[in-house]
Amino acid sequence: MRKICIHFQVVQPHLLRTYRFFDINQNHNYFDDYQNRYLIHRLADRSFLPTNQLLMELIKKYPDSLYLSMSISGSTIMLLKEYYPEALESFKQLIATGNVEITGSTLTHSLASLNNKSSFLEQIRLQEEILESTFGVKPTVFCNTELIYSDEIGEWLYEAGYRTVLTEGARHILGWKSSGYLYCNPYKTDLNVLMRNPNLADDVTFRFNDSTWDQYPLSADKMIRSIDLFPEEEPLVNLFWDYDLLGLVQPEENGIFDFFKAFLSQLASSANHQLCTPSAIVESNTTKSTIHVPWAISSSGEEKDPNEWVGNELQQEAFSQLFKLEESYNKSTCEYTKLAWLRLQNAFHFNFMSTKWLPHESVKRIFDVYPSPYQAFINYMNVLNDIKIQLEKTEKKK
Amino acid sequence: MFGWEFPPHISGGLGTACYGLTKGLAKNDVEVLFVMPKASQDEDQTYTRIIDASAVAVDFTQSHITSLFQNVSFIEVNSKLIPYVGINQYYQLVDQMRSGTIETQTSEGKRTFSFTGKYTQNLMQEVENYALVAAQIASEYDFDIIHAHDWLTYKAGVAARKISGKPLVVHVHATEFDRSGEHNINDIVYGMERYGMSEADAVCAVSNWTRDIVINKYHIEPKKVFPLHNAVEPVLKEVVRKKYVKEKIVTFLGRVTFQKGPEYFIESAKKILDRDPNVRFVLAGDGDLMHNAIERVAELGISDRFHFTGFLRGAEIDEMFGMSDVYVMPSISEPFGISPLEAMRAYVPVVISKQSGVSEVLTHAIKVDFWDVDAMADAIYGILHYPALATFLGEKGKEDVDNLQWEKVAARLKKIYNQLLNS
Repeated sequence: MRKICIHFQVVQPHLLRTYRFFDINQNHNYFDDYQNRYLIHRLADRSFLPTNQLLMELIKKYPDSLYLSMSISGSTIMLLKEYYPEALESFKQLIATGNVEITGSTLTHSLASLNNKSSFLEQIRLQEEILESTFGVKPTVFCNTELIYSDEIGEWLYEAGYRTVLTEGARHILGWKSSGYLYCNPYKTDLNVLMRNPNLADDVTFRFNDSTWDQYPLSADKMIRSIDLFPEEEPLVNLFWDYDLLGLVQPEENGIFDFFKAFLSQLASSANHQLCTPSAIVESNTTKSTIHVPWAISSSGEEKDPNEWVGNELQQEAFSQLFKLEESYNKSTCEYTKLAWLRLQNAFHFNFMSTKWLPHESVKRIFDVYPSPYQAFINYMNVLNDIKIQLEKTEKKK
Repeated sequence: MFGWEFPPHISGGLGTACYGLTKGLAKNDVEVLFVMPKASQDEDQTYTRIIDASAVAVDFTQSHITSLFQNVSFIEVNSKLIPYVGINQYYQLVDQMRSGTIETQTSEGKRTFSFTGKYTQNLMQEVENYALVAAQIASEYDFDIIHAHDWLTYKAGVAARKISGKPLVVHVHATEFDRSGEHNINDIVYGMERYGMSEADAVCAVSNWTRDIVINKYHIEPKKVFPLHNAVEPVLKEVVRKKYVKEKIVTFLGRVTFQKGPEYFIESAKKILDRDPNVRFVLAGDGDLMHNAIERVAELGISDRFHFTGFLRGAEIDEMFGMSDVYVMPSISEPFGISPLEAMRAYVPVVISKQSGVSEVLTHAIKVDFWDVDAMADAIYGILHYPALATFLGEKGKEDVDNLQWEKVAARLKKIYNQLLNS
């Protein structure tokens, strides 16, 4: 019986407001409250709430066979808590069923793992706190921002107490190997690595509504047939998606909810398939081989590298300036500014500075915040400059 | 091709564009006869043959030519509305006003006209006479297409079309709406522009911004209006980076007129100087708003950091770009706007208004609304204070400009020509 591991990433950033240079050291409201409120409502109404409801119904119907996992960034939890408590309540109910495993992540969808161990560990710790206080759970499986992973990041996660990590089944890493097996970190062999199936998940994300695709329209039957085409000895299929795929990336009119309803129902009632949480998969699979990931991989683009966030000189500059403030962060006593600094690590901010897709508009960008990567950079740097001043002002005196 | 000016004697972007286009057409195997009111014989004729309208004798015994002009009367244009006139040129203007077009009577009913080819007081008379000469040329020379640049030559283009029956393309480099703003339209100029566009078989606009104006304000059928963006000549020598002051320099270069929005540059300067006095602003150019500009700068109390250079040319412009850290073009309505390209060619990062044609072809420039002084100031400040941004924009901007080539523009124009010839 083949095991199917389904995971959803729930993320939403705190977007910055237009912050001019003359606001620096004058004004410390960095975030666009109106926009953030509007966007989290839109996201919850179109995606979170209907999807949660769908999953609840299915779990009620298949309480013993429908299992999946999910990570919810601390930022999203904070946004929901502040602007849409009812939607947060719906997540609590879903998690209370026990059929949805919550995995660890960073607090603010942070890119810290790309070069900063201590900030990364801080992010993980804070996320565990918020998961504990909100849902009363302690994760043992980790899903990093945009599935970013390398051997080194694996070692850091092991140190933080994680024993399983989810990442991208990048072709240049897998080579002839298949994502249908369980792998482990070469240096910490106790750290299990689950790799996303590179084709099937993207079929839904990018091609679900593409009428030029030869498999269009995609149905649950077709999807399961594709799963069955994999060699019998492969024990696993890992399908990881962003949660907003349902209802936002693919709007309801496209039939995405009907698709998932049929897909999950068929898998839950199938004799040949078993829906599993990552923890359950790790428990039942003892055979595994090592996978070497010397450089960071991610779920981005065709290259599956982190270039979407730190690919150009602007992004690299912003990134290095950001982490130069770590010491000030550690010394500062101002919780407001410290939280703002953590939020600036969010991958979305770096996404807005990307010139990878220029002059053609980004295909991945869901909302248009800045007219150009340059304005995104300027705005970010203005905010960062004020945060720097505020952190330094509030450093603890020895 | 009918033009009003051709390098080296130019007063704006029009002549430069005509030169680039003819050169590009030559590379696309299109032969060009370029007619201009007054050739000085030092024009570069490598790519085109220049016909000096002042040397063409109009045969008034040919009734089909004169019949076109039976109802011609000359109306003088209000001096303030003549494009490209700076205060410095005032006395020159007065001189030209006294001279104007000189008609020379020759034998047997033939006359030649001596054009000034400048933007003088009795421009309208020159325009009419130019059309007369155009008709004569159309009956003497062999050609397939007539191409007329800007309103001054539209009448000439239409006359040539009537005589020869060949298709006419009018090329809109600027409209009266750009020059004078929404509420100061000169009816005579507007009428002339609309006449040329209506009579033409195709209208080329230097941007979609201008194309929209042509369609919405001149009510021209959209399907015959084609966007044809300008390009820029590659530089032969690199601009030398050389500065004489330690402060960063922010530059505005262009005519100091309503269209160019110099006041937004001044207001941005004030906002930046309030936070960082270690910046110098340079307003290079001349125009009818010069006095207002100087007064405003004094009123804001930033004169010690704000400099006026007056009109710059040639090597001075290169030197100015060589010391600039940011170039700003805050135009209110800019049909195209070639100057940011010249700045980018010299690796200078640019901030340009969205209300410009050039913003449609640039990727690596910061684009803001001309009226959004906060955004403009923020963009300038960002470039000055975040070195990674300045470097990145400088390098990518250069690549951007290198991609804009007249040869490619001319290839698109040739397609339009072929379309007209085959229809």
